[in-house]
Amino acid sequence: MTVLKTSLRNFLAHKGRMALSAVAVLLSVAFVSGTLVFTDTMNTTFDKLFAATAADVTVSPESAEAEDETPQSGRPETLPASLLTKVEKARGVKSAEGGVVSMSVTVVDADNKNMGSSNGAPTIAGNWTRGELRTMEITSGHAPRGPTDVMVDADTAEKHKLRIGDELRTIAVTGDFTARISGIASFKVTNPGAAVVYFDTATAQRELLGRTGEFTHIAVTAAAGVSHEQLKTNVAAVAAGPYKFQTQAEAADAGREDVGGFLDVMKYAMLGFAGIAVLVGIFLIVNTFSMLVAQRTREIGLMRAIGSSRRQVNRSVLIEALFLGLVGSVAGVGAGVGLAVGLMELMSSMGMNLSTSDLTVKWTTPVIGLVLGVVVTVLAAYIPARRAGKVSPMAALRDAGTPADGRAGLVRGVIGLVLTGAGGAALWTATRADEATEGSMWLGLGVVLSLIGFIVVGPLLAGGVVRVLSAVVLRVFGPVGKLAELNALRNPRRTGATGAALMIGLALVACLSVVGSSMVASATEELDKSVGADFIVQSTNGPIVPQAQQALEKAPGIAHVTEYKGVKATLTAPDGTSTDDEWLVAADPTYAQDLRRETVAGELAAAYGKDAMSVGETYADKHGVKVGDTMTVAFRGGGTAKLRVAAVTSDDTNVDKGAMYMAIGTAERYFTPERMPKNMMMFAEAEEGKEKEAYQDLKDALAAYPQYRVLDQTDFKQDLKDQVGQLLNIVYGLLALAIIVAVLGVVNTLALSVVERTREIGLMRAIGLSRRQLRRMIRLESVVIALFGALLGLGLGMGWGTAAQQLLALEGLGVLDIPWPTILYVFVGSAFVGLVAALVPAFRAGRMNVLNAIATE
Amino acid sequence: MTTAVTIPRHGGTGGRTAVAARARQVVKAYGSGETRVVALDHVDVDIMRGQFTAIMGPSGSGKSTLMHCLAGLDTVTSGEIHLDDTEITRLKDKKLTRLRRDRIGFIFQAFNLLPTLSALENITLPMDIAGRKPDAAWLNRIVETVGLADRLGHRPTQLSGGQQQRVAVARALAARPDIIFGDEPTGNLDSRAGAEILGFLRRSVDELGQTIVMVTHDPVAASYADRVLYLADGRIVDEMLDPTAEQVLDRMKDFDARGRTS
Repeated sequence: MTVLKTSLRNFLAHKGRMALSAVAVLLSVAFVSGTLVFTDTMNTTFDKLFAATAADVTVSPESAEAEDETPQSGRPETLPASLLTKVEKARGVKSAEGGVVSMSVTVVDADNKNMGSSNGAPTIAGNWTRGELRTMEITSGHAPRGPTDVMVDADTAEKHKLRIGDELRTIAVTGDFTARISGIASFKVTNPGAAVVYFDTATAQRELLGRTGEFTHIAVTAAAGVSHEQLKTNVAAVAAGPYKFQTQAEAADAGREDVGGFLDVMKYAMLGFAGIAVLVGIFLIVNTFSMLVAQRTREIGLMRAIGSSRRQVNRSVLIEALFLGLVGSVAGVGAGVGLAVGLMELMSSMGMNLSTSDLTVKWTTPVIGLVLGVVVTVLAAYIPARRAGKVSPMAALRDAGTPADGRAGLVRGVIGLVLTGAGGAALWTATRADEATEGSMWLGLGVVLSLIGFIVVGPLLAGGVVRVLSAVVLRVFGPVGKLAELNALRNPRRTGATGAALMIGLALVACLSVVGSSMVASATEELDKSVGADFIVQSTNGPIVPQAQQALEKAPGIAHVTEYKGVKATLTAPDGTSTDDEWLVAADPTYAQDLRRETVAGELAAAYGKDAMSVGETYADKHGVKVGDTMTVAFRGGGTAKLRVAAVTSDDTNVDKGAMYMAIGTAERYFTPERMPKNMMMFAEAEEGKEKEAYQDLKDALAAYPQYRVLDQTDFKQDLKDQVGQLLNIVYGLLALAIIVAVLGVVNTLALSVVERTREIGLMRAIGLSRRQLRRMIRLESVVIALFGALLGLGLGMGWGTAAQQLLALEGLGVLDIPWPTILYVFVGSAFVGLVAALVPAFRAGRMNVLNAIATE
Repeated sequence: MTTAVTIPRHGGTGGRTAVAARARQVVKAYGSGETRVVALDHVDVDIMRGQFTAIMGPSGSGKSTLMHCLAGLDTVTSGEIHLDDTEITRLKDKKLTRLRRDRIGFIFQAFNLLPTLSALENITLPMDIAGRKPDAAWLNRIVETVGLADRLGHRPTQLSGGQQQRVAVARALAARPDIIFGDEPTGNLDSRAGAEILGFLRRSVDELGQTIVMVTHDPVAASYADRVLYLADGRIVDEMLDPTAEQVLDRMKDFDARGRTS
């Protein structure tokens, strides 16, 4: 009981000194619980959406691809309208409606601006039926009634300032057509960002499917008292055929599966970054408790002298940690909910409307947050607590109020060096690996071991590194710089731990920046080497529609245009092994000029002959395929072909690695025209010397089709660089949390050491150190600690990055490119961060009353 | 009297009678209203240049407060303090700091030294802070005087308490301040080490012409001074010139007795 009381009093007495540790716990817990709340809320939103949009029972073509996958043919699978009459007659059916929905459309306004979302949510065009009223209500105008009417959702209308009477052009694979907005409908459920347009049924059939008399699905409503399951059975009985029957729950499950995978990836990625922040927070907590214990040495000695056992002292420190963990995590869980709401606002501003009314806080979220916060804090305080237990009763009698310097020991050095050495060896092994899976295991091991090694050996390195840094940076500042250097060196363990916290985040930044820029450099090299085409046409939404293709082909100054189609098929090799869902490339023979590929056997040109194809080296080796063999290719949505292998391509490339090629003419023989895949991409070659004009002509040709982009090689490389840059920025953003916690650690160390050195500061002020000099001294100390962490982190990270690149060279990442400007920015930025971290501690030190400071025990 | 080494700022012009520090009607009060405590009650005092002055008095008499105010460490409630010709009561922190750095030396009872610096670095610290180069000849002389020549590279933790105080004395002397203030500089030392320190202080007055003000409650320490000021209840109540330890002790007993009967 008394232990508890002492702990509580100590905790309250030192709450100022614990504040930053509490913030570190708070941030980590907030990030974890915020992630959980956010992803749970997303799940709720999608569940509600799917449940609301699905009819009691939905009938759709059996072969219909998953909802998120726009078919390569650009035309949705259909069922005959006659089926509707059959379904209507089934028992228990209250009503049934034929639906038309296509997600392979693009809607543009009169200025050719894409009305679709830019965040990956689809544009959905369909027919307006009574069933839509489950999720939509018309808020102005009227439903579409004829071929010139279109109704648009309110979110899209608001975003693009659309009004009734405005023209919208719908670009579908069956052609373009223009209609005027007749009405605007609002979502009754949360819309995650899709743009939705409605036509009347006949228009939708004609314009989206190319003919009337077909639907993409039938929505069935149950009569009173008929269960969905029962209805499904009844409907299936009357409408036998190649159809799929789904109850509302089944449809919602299917939808959830599609989205759930993505949400899970996002969740675990964010939790991973939260984990890094937790790791960094541990350093902060260890430092705080170490310093509190050191400052309280005499007090603890007294407790021991008057009869407290080691365990009691030990426990009292741990109980303080428990309080800290509790306070931090409770606040953290609260902040996490706030964070989730903030994230939702952010998503809303990017066009994904999430409603706070769906905010989902499962009971597990606060439990996970609390357990995490408390366990981590108590574990982190364990070593300082043990050290407190070891304080001898003699400490009470000793005059020295200041703690003895924590010296980094020999044992520590040996352990650290062994770990670092082992880590280095593992990284080396990774670079030599022949197989990616084996190599990545070595890489992971190397990263973990070298990180731990650096953390352990950090305090030993602190001495040398700080001296070198000081010689370079601090000498300019004369005696004040010297004092700062000595202060940073005073307790190498503390400096080491504070720097190590910063090191972790920066090592990851450095590693990723090396990998990212090597990626860009490797791809650029590869492009220079193998891509012959002057221009590449890419699509951001579905395959390239024929009318856009024709516009391209008509552009002047073009030597040739190459079509490029992706075809999915099940492959069976002569040895009988078969693989599902293989992507094959059906292209014009000119593709062989657009992308130069080496062959290991046969001629690539021959692969574009009738009923011929090529296979990749890896596939050929694995399945024992040779030139002249016959492959059985069962096309998805088409027939089955026997194709002769005319060439085996080398896989020593990064572009189109492992691709199998055939002529478009070959593929066409096995598809009906409707099901024949449209172009995924296109390539174009300008006539000699007309590259500039041709580029402009192609852009002009596609002006009416904003979903497609023409890129020349320079743009393409820039685009690639931008994409990698964007990805890196997201990762850096997430790592920022860990870095913020590390910076708090620097603030914490400085603040506590200012408290610890109160008398010293008083003395220096008494003998004439000005406030300004004092503040500068603390700032410089902070800068040196930050630079120490940065140096270690950047060095370690570049090592990791280089090892990763060497390993990934197996996957085509052949060029090592260390982004020196980024590394330099981070290093200089760290000095700045050090300055910022010292602001408050320096200010407080400067404000100290000289007399009180001297008189402090 | 001529000193062996002249003090640069005032050397020669000042004599024993010149005033190094002067306090006029100095009041220092803490709190207000009913809780108001007066630590210094209209104190007038002159500190003579080249003299060793001891300030004595029972606990709570205000002796430390007086010293802190004279040294520019503490502010006064009212009254004026002049250091040489500078009025320090109205100075802002920046000027006060510079004044302490350039013109005042300190010796505290304990914790005089920065643990991260060697003995020599501690001695030259005030000059380093000021960005001045120490006068090598002077520094050597002081180091020899206090007998630290072979200990200059040591850290404070490697020195005994007496040695640490000797470093503190050397530091106070090194910058050739106008006045050195000592706050019970021997309070933490045994009598032999204490006598050593007091001997150095005495010699620096006699041989170097240094002005020293020392707060103490030890009659033996006070006996090293040229002049002893007695403080009680924030007022200077008595003064004694060229004291001996016995005289000081007797006088203190006197005060004690008076305090008990009144």
